[in-house]
Amino acid sequence: MIEIKNVSKAYVKGKKSVDGLNLEIKNGEIFGFLGPNGAGKTTTIRMITGILNIDEGDILIDGKSIKKEPLEAKKNFGFVPDSPDMFLKLKGIEYLMFMADVYDVPQNKRKEKIEELTKKFEIYNQLNNQIQSYSHGMRQKIVICGALLSEPKNWILDEPMTGLDPKSSYDLKEMMREHAKSGKTVFFSTHILEVAEKLCDRVGIINKGKLVFVGTFEEMKQKFKEEASLEELFLEITEK
Amino acid sequence: MDKVVKLTKIFLKNSFSNMDERMGISTKSKNKILIYGILFLYFAGLIIFLGYNLLDGLIAIHQETVFVGMILFMIFGLAIVQTIFSSINILYFTKDNEYILPLPLKPYQIILARTNVMLIAEYAIIFLLGFIPLIMYGILTGAGMVYYITMVFAVILIPILPVLLISIIVMVIMSFAKLTKNRNRFQLFATLLVFAVIIAISISTSGMKQDLTNEEMAQMLVQANGMIELVKGYIPTVDYLMEALTTNSLFIAIIEVFKTLGITIVGFILYMIIAQKIYFKGLVGNLFGGGASSSNKKINQRKYKNSKLYKSYVGKEFKNMARNPVFLMQCLIPAILIPIIMVVVVYAGLNSDGMGLEQITQMLQQMPTNTFIIACVILGVIQFFTMFIYISITAISRDGENAVFIKYIPVPLYKQYMYKIIPNIIMNIVTIIITLGMAQYILHLPIVTVIALFIVATIMGLLQSIAMLIIDLKRPKLNWDSEYAVAKQNLNLIFPMLLGMVNIVIIIGAAWLFKDIHVYLGLAILGILFIVATVIANKYLYDKQYVLADKIL
Repeated sequence: MIEIKNVSKAYVKGKKSVDGLNLEIKNGEIFGFLGPNGAGKTTTIRMITGILNIDEGDILIDGKSIKKEPLEAKKNFGFVPDSPDMFLKLKGIEYLMFMADVYDVPQNKRKEKIEELTKKFEIYNQLNNQIQSYSHGMRQKIVICGALLSEPKNWILDEPMTGLDPKSSYDLKEMMREHAKSGKTVFFSTHILEVAEKLCDRVGIINKGKLVFVGTFEEMKQKFKEEASLEELFLEITEK
Repeated sequence: MDKVVKLTKIFLKNSFSNMDERMGISTKSKNKILIYGILFLYFAGLIIFLGYNLLDGLIAIHQETVFVGMILFMIFGLAIVQTIFSSINILYFTKDNEYILPLPLKPYQIILARTNVMLIAEYAIIFLLGFIPLIMYGILTGAGMVYYITMVFAVILIPILPVLLISIIVMVIMSFAKLTKNRNRFQLFATLLVFAVIIAISISTSGMKQDLTNEEMAQMLVQANGMIELVKGYIPTVDYLMEALTTNSLFIAIIEVFKTLGITIVGFILYMIIAQKIYFKGLVGNLFGGGASSSNKKINQRKYKNSKLYKSYVGKEFKNMARNPVFLMQCLIPAILIPIIMVVVVYAGLNSDGMGLEQITQMLQQMPTNTFIIACVILGVIQFFTMFIYISITAISRDGENAVFIKYIPVPLYKQYMYKIIPNIIMNIVTIIITLGMAQYILHLPIVTVIALFIVATIMGLLQSIAMLIIDLKRPKLNWDSEYAVAKQNLNLIFPMLLGMVNIVIIIGAAWLFKDIHVYLGLAILGILFIVATVIANKYLYDKQYVLADKIL
């Protein structure tokens, strides 16, 4: 469960990039975080994951404050950043083992988990190669595998579908569904509205640092125009 | 042709603005002019000083024309070395290749613009190293207008052929091989070659004496002249221009410049024909053919084994450096190579005075070696060698945009900082052991002194490691597209030298203040001093661990 409580952040004094954000992502829920470029999505994700300091308010991950108990909070999520160009000089297997050491994945689970994830994403045969030789999509897959290795309760993914081929994208969506079904949380940002519509239980739309809508797609349609397409609704909300 | 000029401008702007950012130079034009002005004046002053001494000596024995030959060869050689390093990056590794290739530009326009960039980069350095000494030659020998006009042609024409030749060689290599693999190998090979040349020059010049009599100098000049005569047969442009610069006849000067111009034009036409055939083959193949080959090698069961986090983390840091040629050469290799090169150079210098290692050792052993002053000299030498280890000062910057990783994993920042400085401490210890080993071989110090020196030097290494990490945290260079931006074109690299200098001044001060003190007491005082500094630096790092990470975004 992720609770964002009245969170604000200003890079420049007097100009808030995120302004009084309140959100609660419940257990068993897939939550899509939408918004135009520069709306505050990445800033919010960076505050949730502890990359950015929070100016006002607090964020709790399974009840642990990222401000006051950062280490405990960080143990409760797996994060996939927007750029997968990480540790390019390491081999795939070295990267995953490093992540397993960071997140204390037990010895008896490592092999099984690595094989399960990498076979699902069809990169098992590449694990002995350096990540720099991987394509963009393969890099994305290895980073996802690294984040999911410790079976975190909360998944936080920044634009996870970018660069994935249709099968991997489908597999990831299936995994997100299974994860939520088992009572855990998925929070992800995306620009692909169709993905959000089909996958998310609820969405949040942020614009100019403020949350302008939270709810299901049905609620969005009821609140705005019943007949409008998703794209039209999104434009209506963010351009108002 | 208009498009070539515009393209050249864009390429230049791109590479120079990147360089400013990498160097940490402010984009404000006033500051920029000031910084470049200071750098220019510094180097120009140095070149004038060195060139004047050499030329003055040569004029005294009426051999000043040798100076012209030396400068022309130097420009030629410099153009070769520079192009070896720059061509691969300018031709193949600039990010703009991906954006330029789809544009409706003719191949010759792109090649011409790229070649212009290489030449302009060349001229920037040659202006300093070529023009200034040649102008000085003109003034001191009272040369006329013909000389100065010929000189301008010489400086412009000489670098062109080496740049074209090396570029073609690089294009041939690249058209046959895969880019990513060869870039690493090529750069590693080039850097090792430079090291090898330094050692070879040191050894080969070890026979030279410092205080030469006129006769000996004349003899050496005959040899240098002979060398120039021998080599210039293979490089006609240098031959012609040497003739043009040293003749008194306007007619001969014009003929020689035209001969050079003719050869350069023919060379350029050949270059364009070959380059148009092979450049794009290598470039396109490499840009879009980088997919990973499938490897069915079974994963060794041992690879699944648990490891302590510190081992895993430090291992990751070492792998990142060892597998990256630029980081390998700038961060790891200097720890081993610098003490060895320095010793070879110093030994070669001593050897030139007719002293063999045995004699040096015997001479030193006759002096009292177990003294505080000798200990300070050894510590100073160690500090000098370890100034060139850039592991800690680049610990954060090496990770680039990926550095945010340290902020979202559940490992305390201070712990991660410690893991990041361990490689610096280890490589410091390697340098200390090599240096102490050599000192022990020559001086036969008591083992307790060696241990005491090892401890004090290790504390200095610890201080350097922590202090440099703090600097990198305060001024990280995270937005880079080439490792050179971190490991070479980075103003932060001045700081290990500054700290090293301060430490050396402290050591010299201690040697001067306590010159008659017992060696162990003296080392204890220095040790305590460095421990206090290390504790303060460490406390600062611990207390400010979160604030210091603020710039990692």
